[in-house]
Amino acid sequence: MDIRSQISMIFHLDKCIGCHTCSIACKNIWTDRKGVEYQWWNNVETKPGTGYPSKWEDQDIYKGGWEKSGSSIKLKGAGKVKGLGNIFHNPHMPVIDDYYEPFTYKYLDLIESPAGDDQPTARPVSLITGKPIDIKSGPNWDDDLSGTPDYARKDPNLVNLSPAEQEAMFQLEKMAFFYLPRICNHCLNPGCVASCPSGALYKRGEDGIVLVNQDVCRGWRMCVTACPYKKTYYNWHTGKSEKCILCFPRIEAGLAPACMHSCVGRIRYLGVVLYDADRIEEVASSDDKDLVQNHLDLILDPHDPAIIKAAKENGIPDSTIRSAQASPTYKFVKDWGLALPLHAEFRTLPMLFYVPPLLPVMASLGKSDPAQLDKMGPVVKQWNDDWLYDTSTDDIFGTLDNARFPIEYMASLFSAGDTEMVKARIQKLMAVRIHRRHVTVGDISAEKSAEALKQAGLTAKMADDIYYLTSLAKFDDRFVIPASHREQAIEMMEFTGDKKGSAGFGFKEGTAQRGL
Amino acid sequence: MTTDFFVKRRFAVAGSLAVLACLSLVCAAPAQASGETDFNTYCGACHSIGQGRRVGPDLAGIHDRRSQDWLEKFVKSSQAMIKSGDAEAVALAAEYSNLVMPDAVISAAQIKAVLSYIRDSASPAAAVVPGTVESLAGAAPAAAEPSPAAEVVPPSPADIETGQALFEGSQRFENGGAACNSCHHVRNDAVMGGGILAAELTTVFSRMGTPGLRAILGAAPFPVMQAAYENHVLTEAEVGALVAFLQYADSEEYNQLPRDYGIGLFLTGIVGAAILFLLFGTVWRGRRVASVNQAIYDRQVKSVSDTQ
Repeated sequence: MDIRSQISMIFHLDKCIGCHTCSIACKNIWTDRKGVEYQWWNNVETKPGTGYPSKWEDQDIYKGGWEKSGSSIKLKGAGKVKGLGNIFHNPHMPVIDDYYEPFTYKYLDLIESPAGDDQPTARPVSLITGKPIDIKSGPNWDDDLSGTPDYARKDPNLVNLSPAEQEAMFQLEKMAFFYLPRICNHCLNPGCVASCPSGALYKRGEDGIVLVNQDVCRGWRMCVTACPYKKTYYNWHTGKSEKCILCFPRIEAGLAPACMHSCVGRIRYLGVVLYDADRIEEVASSDDKDLVQNHLDLILDPHDPAIIKAAKENGIPDSTIRSAQASPTYKFVKDWGLALPLHAEFRTLPMLFYVPPLLPVMASLGKSDPAQLDKMGPVVKQWNDDWLYDTSTDDIFGTLDNARFPIEYMASLFSAGDTEMVKARIQKLMAVRIHRRHVTVGDISAEKSAEALKQAGLTAKMADDIYYLTSLAKFDDRFVIPASHREQAIEMMEFTGDKKGSAGFGFKEGTAQRGL
Repeated sequence: MTTDFFVKRRFAVAGSLAVLACLSLVCAAPAQASGETDFNTYCGACHSIGQGRRVGPDLAGIHDRRSQDWLEKFVKSSQAMIKSGDAEAVALAAEYSNLVMPDAVISAAQIKAVLSYIRDSASPAAAVVPGTVESLAGAAPAAAEPSPAAEVVPPSPADIETGQALFEGSQRFENGGAACNSCHHVRNDAVMGGGILAAELTTVFSRMGTPGLRAILGAAPFPVMQAAYENHVLTEAEVGALVAFLQYADSEEYNQLPRDYGIGLFLTGIVGAAILFLLFGTVWRGRRVASVNQAIYDRQVKSVSDTQ
């Protein structure tokens, strides 16, 4: 047993409003430089949609992630032999148009143009070439474009759905979408780290943050291919690769990462989990059907005395273990079983978990009953035909199988195709709503609420806890950041006594030149 | 007079044979003296009188074979005569591989003096060296040709080294002349590539031998080289070293790495490139070159152009 700690995240998709505040916060701090204009370490995609870069989930195109090879796994598009063979000619990388060509406008033309017959305009110019361009695409070009033939219908996750089901999804009345915010998953088995010929990428020992050493990076871009989430990017100006650093300078100071701190919907949670590093290869090599469950089982119970003992023997500080015990990630993933990893089938063991969205599933379209309609009053939207947007709870979980968003689609995203796993989580979300409606509104009976909780495998206490952490939680509940113990880290590198007395108010370097 | 001084200086550096011949002949007549000087200056590099064939034919007894008029015209401008289609001139050029004899830079009177010098000095010399008179039919030019290889003495390594340094210009000529490789090239791995303004000298030793080279280096018959070294005469030691180096370069010719493959090299390059491109195309045939959104972009661009 080799117990290590990992900073792990939860994104509660049911709460995401798609405002992109996270993306902007990240962009303003980290990627507002030359060479990285096109990079969005944090981005928010509309699902169904092709995402950023386009069709990143389709590994037949990009060859990211791992694939099973005998009893173990190998990288799909990189690795020692393939990497060497393609080292000067990396064939599967996204091209700039798969992201988008970054642009700005010549705003100064608006105020500096000489007087003329025509209104001055601000022409778009490429941030790469500096020349005027016709804008073909942009970040979130397909934002809110569910149902469009160009984007939504080319979503790689639709591949498991029958043409009839796909068509049903994009009927005008049934159309639905949700948002999928994405950052680097800081995986336990990162493809980017494994693929780097220079050894520039590494996973920090103390908290598992995956970083690119800019001094070592040689710009081979194997990581760009190897990351199935396409979350390592190439900086064309410096010739090095860059990626999300999980705002580690903020984490070390006890602050939440910028994207999480700024999140308007408060969908993001961050906490430490303990896991067994000895089992990584075994879990990553699991059969498809066991993969997600084994992945979740890799996370260990921080309350178990045996685990605590083993963790301490492995040098994990007490403060980190206490953080792990209070971790919202552990609660969502393990205690309550609400969150799932994104595309576990890429076998990188991502450490960012998603609570699947409930809203598109909750309501179904059914035949409206004219008698019911009369009772509903004038504010209810009534179509000319007799379809109704039905959010009733008369039939517990009745809408689940009849959802306007096929469960298969969710399963393709979050559970490597296992619909039961997604269904169980959505049932829990619905049960919490039914329970809280019983408590606060009271129009649902106690029996019905208890029945829903029982079917979902929750207790009333758990449902209240979920409700609290979902709806009422304060900053310190959402972000339980362990102390980084920088004092210990620096002692490993150098003797701090050397610095004693040598630094004070400013620094003295060499002999002062007085110019006498 | 300055010309006298110049002539005297030339004497000092000219071949000893000519000097000895001049002294022995009691050269009193000025015309005779000027003819001899001009011969040594302008003709001696390629021609001898009774010492056998060098670059050009041995001129002993030339008056028995050609008329005075023909000789004067030929010396004045051999090329003009060849162009005018003179049968003898054309045959002569063909026999000497169309090697160009430079047009005379001396006056008609001087040419006459040179010719009379040749006639006067030939008679005793012709008796000494038999069989040098060759027929126009060219019955046995090979037999008449003196073989440089026969008199070859291996040069000393020190001379070769000095000669190489002088040729390359890493060592300066004493009188400040331009380094040989400004204009000449010698195919030798140890030497930096030279110019292509003048003849390639790798096998010049086989063609001319020590006497020929010494004569050319002592008093170049070529107008450009003459002008270049007029005030920068090579010393005797320098000439010896250069000849030694050229002899060495000649003998080493077949050991040099950069062999000349001719058109073969070019064709091999084309075939090799074709094979490489085929290989690249096969190995990386799956490479992504266009965006996955290309179809969308293409359609957008098309619609834009449709509306315009």
